[in-house]
Amino acid sequence: MKQEIHFVTGKGGVGKSVVAAGLALRKSREGKKVLLVELGDQSFFKDFFNEPDVAFKPRELKKNLDVALWSGETSLREYAKYLIKVEALTKLFFENAVMRAFINVAPALSELAIMGKITSGPRDYGPLVPYDCLVVDAYATGHFMALMRASKGMAQAIQFGPMGEQSRSIDTVLRNQDICHYHIVTLPEELPVREAEELKSQLANEFSLRPQVILNKFLETSVPLATLKEAQKDATSDLGRFALYLEQHQERQRGLYQETQKNFDRLIQVPLFFETDPWKLVELISERMV
Amino acid sequence: MITIFQETQVLVCVGSGGVGKTTVAASLGILAAKEGKKVLVLTIDPAKRLAQTLGIEGSTDITKVPGQNYKGELYASVIDHKKTFDAFVERAAKKSDSAKKILNNGLYKQLSTSLSGSQEFTSLEKLYSVFESKQFDLIILDTPPTKHAIDFLYAPQKLSALFSEGVAKWFRDPEGKKSGFFGHMLQSGTKQVLKILESLTGSTFIRELGDFFMNIEQWQAQLLQRTVDVHRMLVSPTTHFCLVTSFDQAKLKEAEFFAREIRKGGYHLKTVVLNRVFPHWLNLESNITGTSQNEELLQTYSKMKTYYADREKLYQQFESRLKKDVRVFRIPDLVKDISDIKGLEELGHMIAEGEKV
Ligand SMILES: Nc1ncnc2c1ncn2[C@@H]1O[C@H](COP(=O)(O)OP(=O)(O)OP(=O)(O)O)[C@@H](O)[C@H]1O
Ligand SMILES: Nc1ncnc2c1ncn2[C@@H]1O[C@H](COP(=O)(O)OP(=O)(O)OP(=O)(O)O)[C@@H](O)[C@H]1O
Ligand SMILES: [Mg+2]
Ligand SMILES: [Mg+2]
Repeated sequence: MKQEIHFVTGKGGVGKSVVAAGLALRKSREGKKVLLVELGDQSFFKDFFNEPDVAFKPRELKKNLDVALWSGETSLREYAKYLIKVEALTKLFFENAVMRAFINVAPALSELAIMGKITSGPRDYGPLVPYDCLVVDAYATGHFMALMRASKGMAQAIQFGPMGEQSRSIDTVLRNQDICHYHIVTLPEELPVREAEELKSQLANEFSLRPQVILNKFLETSVPLATLKEAQKDATSDLGRFALYLEQHQERQRGLYQETQKNFDRLIQVPLFFETDPWKLVELISERMV
Repeated sequence: MITIFQETQVLVCVGSGGVGKTTVAASLGILAAKEGKKVLVLTIDPAKRLAQTLGIEGSTDITKVPGQNYKGELYASVIDHKKTFDAFVERAAKKSDSAKKILNNGLYKQLSTSLSGSQEFTSLEKLYSVFESKQFDLIILDTPPTKHAIDFLYAPQKLSALFSEGVAKWFRDPEGKKSGFFGHMLQSGTKQVLKILESLTGSTFIRELGDFFMNIEQWQAQLLQRTVDVHRMLVSPTTHFCLVTSFDQAKLKEAEFFAREIRKGGYHLKTVVLNRVFPHWLNLESNITGTSQNEELLQTYSKMKTYYADREKLYQQFESRLKKDVRVFRIPDLVKDISDIKGLEELGHMIAEGEKV
């Protein structure tokens, strides 16, 4: 079976992480062996699921569902180790002060290392990633586009040698929609919807991709307006004020919903769940991932 | 007088992506103008309507916000990263020749905008240049979206580390021949490291890279000087940080981590704004529930209320762990995009009210 790779992105705070976890849980229930991948050097899921640790090496969360944290540096380190083979040399390389400073800021190097690691399965390159499915809790919009553009830019700047070759092969995999799937999470709010629209066209124009859009935290109520107006008459009570809130909320949501219906051809909705338990929340979200 | 602005010349709003930094920065600007200050809000990538409200859409000049009638004066500006960076390059690369060389470098052309930390760098660069001009009583800086609040402080350090480690020198003189015997001792192994890098990436990459770093080497002195100046401004007792954060377990933990780190770094964290904590209608103490025949309305109401009551407990734990010298404000979720003056004033008002309790 060919490995599938899912990227989950969107504006900061819209629910990327819990949606990624929900999607990963769903895939694991379908019998696939799934790795949920976090990017960067601080883990969200460690605190969220109250795990002792989440690191580069995958750790089991549930049956068929592991989690790992991949950063530019750790990915690059593994890649170097794979190619250099001699542990002492790898160490020399990464302990060199200049090299360390360089890795942190070199243009696109860290992005390339991360994307190289994520796509290593389909490219059949590097250490084995023994999973049927990767779900990447990716960076927010702007930084995500930097991830996507790194391989393309590098392939253009560097025509020859391993760097150019690797970049081209990463870029090819990222554009292959039989392998890579893209999910933009957004909210029924003005700014996140705008950002999702922009991101969607960037992915379409620059990479010919057709991402799925997930409208998250949708308030699933349909209390008739008349009822809400009636309840508002009692303006001093909590319920009266709540009714006013609900009216405004439903109105705004309706407007943005219509807009998303018009602009996104692949759209799903995930309701706002009043659930504070992390696994229960992820479970509820996973049921909506289709 | 509102204490947030007391003895404050610079107020930096930090926080992870999407929490409300830009909105809070603008609201604080209005609040300060009401207090009688001549204040500048330096925003980053504001939403279109907010930019319109501030009168800064499509311009990067410092602009007086239209339609104001405050005791003080409110100015706003959008930071243009490219322009700020170019200005820096021009100043730093005194010989225009080398500036041109950089602009023609293949790597730079493709990837200059993604040099990590460059947005953070330009934000601080802009802040410092306005700060130096001494035109304002108070400057409020909005910051670029980062994954974590702390990234904003680390980014410029990472960038300057690159220069202080002398990467350019390393490419030009991998064995440290020019730095004499001791230099040679220190640098032994560097050539080998460079060889490894070459085997990993290829010689074309190394050549472009060497070219790139050699060309920017002459910025080194300026960049380091600037880093020192900016740092002095940031740790000054009149520069205060305001952490904007959302309200869930992971974010609160991050906020605690940030508060610790920032103090270790010698910066002054004075305020934490917990944004969109609960819907504005909610009053957990209220017992007057009111009545309705509609089951769905009653159910939604009680589900929400229970949910937020649970979260309230979280908050209590959080506040008790933060030190006493940090003020914590809670801002409700206002069910609208706060992009007009009225909305911003409303938010500012809530912060002012929050000070009283
Ligand atoms: N459908 C939902 N119902 C209820 N709560 C939700 C839902 N989606 C997300 N949340 C909550 O919203 C908050 C933000 O979600 P999350 O951390 O996944 O966002 P994010 O986009 O990953 O944020 P960041 O950009 O900071 O990484 C969390 O407290 C999460 O539990
Ligand atoms: N208290 C609030 N109530 C309701 N909406 C809010 C509140 N605070 C902010 N918002 C809305 O949330 C959205 C995001 O806010 P804002 O753009 O200020 O965040 P940010 O931290 O600057 O984001 P970024 O990291 O992407 O720059 C905006 O649409 C804003 O109107
Ligand atoms: Mg997240
Ligand atoms: Mg912003």
